[in-house]
Amino acid sequence: MMAWLWAASVLILVAAVWIVWRSRQAQVRRLERLLDMGDERLERLQREFERFAPPDVVERLTDASASFVPQLRQVTMLFADLRGFTALCDKLDPAVTVHILNDYFALMNQAVERHHGHITELVGDGLLALFGALEPNPWQCRDAVLAAQAMRAALERYNGELVARGLPPLHFGIGIHSGEVIAGIIGTAGLAKFSVTGDPINVASRVEGLTRQLHVDLLITDEVRRALDDGFSLRAMPATLVKGKSLPLQTWHVEPDAAAQGDGAAEKVRSPASDPARTTADAP
Amino acid sequence: MSAVLGEVEWGEPVLPIQRDAAWEEQVKRRGGHVSEADRRTAASPWIRELGLSLTTYKAVAMPAHLLHIGAMVVAQENACRYCYGANRAYLKLLGYSEAYIRRLEREVHEAELDERDRVVIAFARNLARSRPRPSRSACQALVDVGLSPAAVAEVAFLVAVGCFYNRVTTFMACPPERGFERFANGPVGRIVGLGAALLRSLKPGGWGGQELLSAGAAKAADGPFGPILAPLAGLPAERIMKDALEGAFASPVLSRPTKALMFAIVARTLECALCENQARGLLDGYGIQAQDVDSALAQLHSDQLPGAESALLSWTRGTVYYDVANIQRETRELAGKVDPKVLLEAIGVAALANATVRLAMLHA
Repeated sequence: MMAWLWAASVLILVAAVWIVWRSRQAQVRRLERLLDMGDERLERLQREFERFAPPDVVERLTDASASFVPQLRQVTMLFADLRGFTALCDKLDPAVTVHILNDYFALMNQAVERHHGHITELVGDGLLALFGALEPNPWQCRDAVLAAQAMRAALERYNGELVARGLPPLHFGIGIHSGEVIAGIIGTAGLAKFSVTGDPINVASRVEGLTRQLHVDLLITDEVRRALDDGFSLRAMPATLVKGKSLPLQTWHVEPDAAAQGDGAAEKVRSPASDPARTTADAP
Repeated sequence: MSAVLGEVEWGEPVLPIQRDAAWEEQVKRRGGHVSEADRRTAASPWIRELGLSLTTYKAVAMPAHLLHIGAMVVAQENACRYCYGANRAYLKLLGYSEAYIRRLEREVHEAELDERDRVVIAFARNLARSRPRPSRSACQALVDVGLSPAAVAEVAFLVAVGCFYNRVTTFMACPPERGFERFANGPVGRIVGLGAALLRSLKPGGWGGQELLSAGAAKAADGPFGPILAPLAGLPAERIMKDALEGAFASPVLSRPTKALMFAIVARTLECALCENQARGLLDGYGIQAQDVDSALAQLHSDQLPGAESALLSWTRGTVYYDVANIQRETRELAGKVDPKVLLEAIGVAALANATVRLAMLHA
């Protein structure tokens, strides 16, 4: 009789321990599921955030151990703006307008990113791309001009598609300038963005505006020109007064195709870095 | 945020398989497994040797259990589908659960790693990413959690060479080891993992496990970028890096000025004055004048390089910070200008330059 009682007691004890253990396991699984759900939400949030700010900026902002300290940096700025797009919007169906604009921005973004830049702002039909704002870039001027040439080529191809669909082609103006600016998160607690501030960004914007006045699609400043090699065909434009500057601004048009410029009508300038008297080294 | 495995873009292979039966035998003799990467790098003795040295490396000073965790994290940072998938599969075979691995990938592993491991993993991510390259002061965080200088150097070496291998396999778009990944996630792989987890729980924890090859003060090594290797003195890593650098610069496939310029470009991108000066010293020895070096670095072009080698300079610049789709596209374009042997060499040299300049953070 006693033996049965002992056996029953042991069984009841084992059952109790098993029930408690199962209950704890279920609790751990619930907590793990909650943790996984939290992780997934955070990851989705971070991915969506990357649509509004460069991934590097997002990475630094979400890393608790990192800080985003504003810095004075040498940055090259590229402004691009569509000409006559506002008037075009009045004639096109809104859905078509947005579709065209999204296609345009996607192509421009691809051209900028392929040349180590980041588009940091889209304002209406305009964009601002920065080169050298997030990480040091010794070749930022070259990258910006190559990006602009790639944007030009991409727009030409896209215009072929638009015309084939019976839609009007797009035209833009691009201005590029380089200088020291403050790069950081600018704004309020409720609304902020990664951007740069300083006189050079105003100059870049003015240079983009000059493309209309001077009837060209791509202008660079002297600061950018000095950093380029002789692989770019440049045409000096008339020095022009711009808002905010007391002296006329000298700009240079980057021509589409150096091989096509055969008549020499415009004064061609080689960038200062070129050296016609090259020597050839012996190959080891 | 670094992409997880399923999100990493990947293209078709850029380089064909080139079997070398003698090399494959050697790989097996040395405890390696003949992989897709081995078959595509077989034509280059120094690249294949460095790859095998990495995949068969045994940690000497750093915690052994972090070898593969660190390798996966570095591969994830470099968006290398090949290495990421292989290391992830290896972690499953070592008994790490899917949940643990997923948290590691999402950088929310704090609850499951101790302070020392967390600091080492964060250091590895930071050095792999190098935006910007961490300075020497970042090593202090590792020392503060108990790593010896040799352990710190070994961690930096493994991150650097991980970056080498990730780049080689990424730029050539090496096909993932699907069979191995399937095995690790299948029923047999799970049983192996259970056994490995049990062994891990029975083995007492600890740091390092083998004697260093030689103790003593670090001395500058000879050869290309020799001084960079000084912190590795006494570790097997020193010989591995020295052999790789000497092998790369002795190889006749690319001209030495091209290789030195490729290193200089990576050094400039990562703002490493030490490595850039080392490269300039080599170029001076090859008879390239300082102003020509300045011009080549400023323009990413040089008329003084033979054949189509000048095209490698701007391509090399894109190997430091890259988007996988773009770098694979650019490498494919380069493949149209140079023959496969030259392309493989260029991939190896650019990858080695990225590894060496990252390793140089031990001096920075």
